[in-house]
Amino acid sequence: MLRTGFFVIFLLLSSVLCLEDTVEEFQEQLSFKSLRDGRVASTFSFKTLLKDATPRDPQTLALDNDDSQHYTLFPLTLGQILRQYAITELHLTLNAGKWNYDSWGYPDEPGVGVGAELWAWMADGSSLSIDERWQGVRNALAGLFCASLGSLDEQRTTSPRLSFPPEGSLPDWGLPHELRHASHASEHVCTENLTPFLKLLPCKSLSGLAALLNPHRLFDADWHGMSLHVLWRPVGIEMRLNFQLVSDPLRISTNKKQDWSFASLFDRVVEKACPVAKSSRVIVDLPTYGVYRVHPEPSEILNGKAYYDLTNSNQVWDIGTMWPVDFEYPLSKPTEALLPFSVRRSLFGSTQDRGQLSIVVTNNQNETLQMLYLETMPWIVQFYLHTIRVHSDDIPSDNLVSNITYVLPVPHARPATFESVLTLPGHSTLTFTMDVAKTFLRYTEHPPDAQRGWDLPPAFLHPSYSHRTDLPTTLVASIHHPYLLI
Amino acid sequence: MSRFRDPSTISFQYDSVRRCIIASYWIIIALALPLWWKTTSIQRLPLPTSEVYTQAQKKLQIPLEICVDPVFSSQVSSIHASIRNVASYLEVNVNIGQHCNQSAGYAVLPGDQLLIQDRKLYYPTTLAVENLPSTLVSLVAPEMDQRAAQYSPRYRLSFTLLNEDGSAGQVVTGWDIRQAISQYISPITSALGILHNFTIESQVQFHAPLAFEPASLADGTYGLTPENLTVFINSAEWTLSSSSSNDPVLHFVLFVPSAKRRPLTILNLDGNPSSSSAFLIPQWGGIVILNLPAPPPTTLDLTLPDLRSSFSPFSRQLLTLLGFPRLPPSVSSSSKGTLSLWQIDSLLRQRTHENVVRSHDTLRSTVTVVSQIQGMPVDSQVQAQVQGALKALHELFAFARTNLSLDEMLVYSARALTLSSKAFFHPGMLALLYFPAEHKYAVYTPLFASAMIPLFAAAMREVKAWRKERKEAKAKAAKDVAVDGAAMDANAVDTSQ
Amino acid sequence: MLSLRPTHTLALCILLRALLAYWISPSSVSSTAGFLSSSSPLTSWLNLQEGIYLFKRGIDPYSGGVFRHSPLYLSLSSLLPISIFSNPLFCAILFTVADAFAAYALIGIWRLRQGLRLTMESSRDSLLVAIYMLNPCIFIPSLARSTSSLDNACLLGAVMWACEACGSGPGGKSENESVVSSKRSRSKSRSLLLLALRTHLSTDTLILLPPTMMLILSQDPGSRLASPRGFVPGTKNKSTLTTPILVLLAEWFLYWTLLTLLSSLVVGFGSGWMGQTWGASFTLPDLTPNPGVWWYFFTEMFDHFRPFFLMVFSVHLLLYVAPVCIKFQHDPLYAFFILTGILSTFKPYPTLSDPGLFMALWGVFPEVYKYLRHPLVTFLTSLHALLLQPLFAHLWLSHGTGNANFYYATTLVGACSGGLALVDACWAGLRIAVGGVEGVDERGEEKEVVTQQ
Repeated sequence: MLRTGFFVIFLLLSSVLCLEDTVEEFQEQLSFKSLRDGRVASTFSFKTLLKDATPRDPQTLALDNDDSQHYTLFPLTLGQILRQYAITELHLTLNAGKWNYDSWGYPDEPGVGVGAELWAWMADGSSLSIDERWQGVRNALAGLFCASLGSLDEQRTTSPRLSFPPEGSLPDWGLPHELRHASHASEHVCTENLTPFLKLLPCKSLSGLAALLNPHRLFDADWHGMSLHVLWRPVGIEMRLNFQLVSDPLRISTNKKQDWSFASLFDRVVEKACPVAKSSRVIVDLPTYGVYRVHPEPSEILNGKAYYDLTNSNQVWDIGTMWPVDFEYPLSKPTEALLPFSVRRSLFGSTQDRGQLSIVVTNNQNETLQMLYLETMPWIVQFYLHTIRVHSDDIPSDNLVSNITYVLPVPHARPATFESVLTLPGHSTLTFTMDVAKTFLRYTEHPPDAQRGWDLPPAFLHPSYSHRTDLPTTLVASIHHPYLLI
Repeated sequence: MSRFRDPSTISFQYDSVRRCIIASYWIIIALALPLWWKTTSIQRLPLPTSEVYTQAQKKLQIPLEICVDPVFSSQVSSIHASIRNVASYLEVNVNIGQHCNQSAGYAVLPGDQLLIQDRKLYYPTTLAVENLPSTLVSLVAPEMDQRAAQYSPRYRLSFTLLNEDGSAGQVVTGWDIRQAISQYISPITSALGILHNFTIESQVQFHAPLAFEPASLADGTYGLTPENLTVFINSAEWTLSSSSSNDPVLHFVLFVPSAKRRPLTILNLDGNPSSSSAFLIPQWGGIVILNLPAPPPTTLDLTLPDLRSSFSPFSRQLLTLLGFPRLPPSVSSSSKGTLSLWQIDSLLRQRTHENVVRSHDTLRSTVTVVSQIQGMPVDSQVQAQVQGALKALHELFAFARTNLSLDEMLVYSARALTLSSKAFFHPGMLALLYFPAEHKYAVYTPLFASAMIPLFAAAMREVKAWRKERKEAKAKAAKDVAVDGAAMDANAVDTSQ
Repeated sequence: MLSLRPTHTLALCILLRALLAYWISPSSVSSTAGFLSSSSPLTSWLNLQEGIYLFKRGIDPYSGGVFRHSPLYLSLSSLLPISIFSNPLFCAILFTVADAFAAYALIGIWRLRQGLRLTMESSRDSLLVAIYMLNPCIFIPSLARSTSSLDNACLLGAVMWACEACGSGPGGKSENESVVSSKRSRSKSRSLLLLALRTHLSTDTLILLPPTMMLILSQDPGSRLASPRGFVPGTKNKSTLTTPILVLLAEWFLYWTLLTLLSSLVVGFGSGWMGQTWGASFTLPDLTPNPGVWWYFFTEMFDHFRPFFLMVFSVHLLLYVAPVCIKFQHDPLYAFFILTGILSTFKPYPTLSDPGLFMALWGVFPEVYKYLRHPLVTFLTSLHALLLQPLFAHLWLSHGTGNANFYYATTLVGACSGGLALVDACWAGLRIAVGGVEGVDERGEEKEVVTQQ
């Protein structure tokens, strides 16, 4: 008894002494890109760096006491969650809409799957198992973001081996790290998710670039998504909060011009600068076609981008682009593809007990490439692997799919994980089809709007499997249409 | 008609075959009954109900030894009575002795001035002896502050520096929190380490708008009326720490008003600014308002000297929130600045008593609820927790008099409290509210009633037929015996004739 | 009666069936006439192919819920290349041969029941072949390549050899005692082996074990319905039955254990396959609709009562074994027939093959026809169910204009017709013992059937 008392006192004193002073840095950035079909893609990126900090070693989870946490810029609520469950790397995205790769190109943030997606790398070695910590972090984040992340339970959680490598580094504790990935495509994103997101920023939505985040305009966009990334690099723990959206200025403009500005897109301007931001800047991608004017004058133009520095400025900023002529919608298919690949994924079938999953990938380049293809499907859809048929330009070539890893779905317990490598010859279209069966559910398992059916999670394609750095890392292939289940 | 055989002569119509068939149905049903029981029962492990009720009746008696110098021997009985009046959980033992200053317990000795040192009270002879009992009561069993938070074995102390509006011209970007904590807070947390496990954390916020407009005073300053103080904490906009674990949090907020509304003072009831700039919200935490000097620099880091005026109120507020009793105003302590043993001991005793009362209540409620709601499952964890709580209480009561120190008593009581709370709030105990008894009958009846009727009817018929047969057989046997007897008599008559 | 010789009828039926099986693909059968009723999750050919594919790739097919066949099928796959399982010629030959063997076994049962030897012909043989091979309830699952056709062949073969292994079998005095007895014990072993295989493939066939063993132990398989008496064993020692029963059980259990061990060996000494294959009948993990009554009930059953009702439905099947065997102890083949009917109506995962087997076995008992009370009602009800089931399934799942209750109603009608057939079969089997002819032909004479006294 007295021994535990002394031990506690020792821990308290040592915790005060041994944690070094960490320096924190906050940077914010907003970038704009005009898209082919007249829309504007904007990305807010808020990065907080906690220098010289490391994630918590899970072996210390057994001792109840953690080191004291003292933060100035890093949010305390998130720090508590990360340390309580000893998370090394965490990624959470809440998106709505389908990203149109063909017209919009590649997004700044690769995770554009619809609904909620959460994945984390954790080290295995504590008294709590990884699954218990996964459940704890899901529930804690569900409370933090007011999103129903607690429903990402074992019926939606998978551990793909190759598809989600850690974005940062994994600390060297001699413990194996494991991945847990879960997604829920039916999760709707709205203002109640944005408010806690803003509370994680040092300046909230009252000063700095975050003041532009007007929920009325954000959730009116054609595509919007917020994401949280926490990763560890040797320099320290990095937390990135992003908000991406694709707005349509033509829809809100009275004339037929694709002009946009802060006031027209967000109905707000930047009046006050965030006092603690180390750098605060706006980047506008200058389109290569047409005649236009960017206002006000940028501080510098580099590589086809205009840079504006808003750090510690006390003027009112309303950046925008104006075109003199009306916008003409492109009437024919563009000759040059925006991306080296285009993907289309659909679920065919008119009956309610069987269907056919099909994914069509077009390789617009000359050389043969390999892509990693991941499908994680809840157990309500049963795959039949022996019916996989692969056609390259309508010629059957079943050898183009290889390295199949398959974890079978267990009804009421586990989703299916299907990972394979697709080989795409140059300038060809690969069609991959597989028969599926839709299971018959118990009465209590139907979702509330049973006639609408279930939303299926997206599939992931990783062209980076070819070890080329010029290719995008992930393509998210959402289903072409939702479907019904009895 | 002769080509029809009599059905009763066919082999499968024999009674034995019929009864065998009916019995085989009933045997299988009987063998399946335990399976029915097993598949529909909910797990309700037995809880030690009677033990809990007996335990809940007991009252804890914490021994208290006071050695009194013979000078004060006249006050022994009144000391005894006055302490027992205030705190019935104390078992006071006052003895008079010559060598009180070597005793291990408390000692009342004559001295020059009224002060306490370790566990000794020096009472000057110049003061009236009749006031000694009340002084002792205020030292040994002071009244518990109503603003103190409920006992919990673990606390999170959360320090927040709030800038009301960081973009208005002046912002405090950081503070020397670690040094401040080690200087002002760590002495308290280490002294009270036996009572609570403390986790300390801090954060800085740059925008913390108030939900109301402070009153603007005549001289250009701003003031907070007492009504404003009750709604000062704007929990919706301020991200104060709400911990992801179940431990209660004590908040300490350092509020820096915005450059436009400076200086901000707290007003008295009569509207005049008061001298203190700190206030306490009971059972939640404390707030200190920091008015920075003008003209202000644009960014500022608070260093340790700047924080002195803020952290001493924080340390006082922490003591109040933890229920730490104050010394009576007349008594001074020989070691100023540190917490005296008299106070720590009385806090330990009070907390132990409070924990025991709460554990008793929780355990009693648990077993009452479980016995009243038949549909409430009780699994092995709940049973283990209730038994663990009882065991801790047993040990506490058994050894309270003999060889437990106050620290050990507190640990036992804290463990009993934690386990009984865990048992009461265990999520697996949610009653099966979806299945009242009527629902169960509604599920069983349509399927089984129609199937059981022919079985019952056939069994009844067979039993009746069997009873009738037995009766007929007995009657026939009796008649045979009578006929034989009559024949024998007739024979006898004949032969005798 | 058909005037064709039975071998010719058999050959014609085989040819016809083989051609049909070669040209009609299984998916077209299971999406039209055999929608939901031709195969169940335990017998589906698609699931079998999937399991074999996964097994060949080194993935354990029993780690999920798709493959519920016995590991013995996986052992076959290691001998044959995987593409052969989708080859229409191979499948056509396999299923036609299985059905032909089942038809041959049916003829054998009839011949042995009439007191003839297996090789002697009788006039009803062609009719029986036609009843089996051209019966839609039998050939639709066969065309859909449901392994329930193979199960039926197994069961009928077991019963045929059980009839042959009866106590004092047919045969003239010219035969040698030892030859007869060795032939009998060979038939007994074959029958027990096939029974063990059939029970291994699906556990609910356990209820057919007691009547088959009674059949093996009885004197002869002839019809004794009209003159019932207590069970007379065909063994030498007529007084005690314990030892012969135990010997039979031990032999059956030995075969069954060998099969289980072989299966465990195939999947690498695991035992997870037992829960997926045998456990499926007890825990009903897959709620795919079928012609039975279990699936709808358990779709709407709350989780709290689920284990209880699963127990009740399983015990319900067991409930009928002892009464039926005791009542028909004079004619164990009839007891087997009744229990087949009970199994087809109350099984967890029935297909059309199960009522098909029951229908085909009706042909072996012509002596009870004139004692049936409502054959027309039974026939019309089952016709109603058979015609409407694929229609409503199509309306529900393909068209989307119906719902599950349409199909469930037809399964209820099917269960009703099964119940009516069972009740009538029980009545007629017992009524025949009272004697007297229900129907008299135009000359006022009794029509006699061949029965033994």
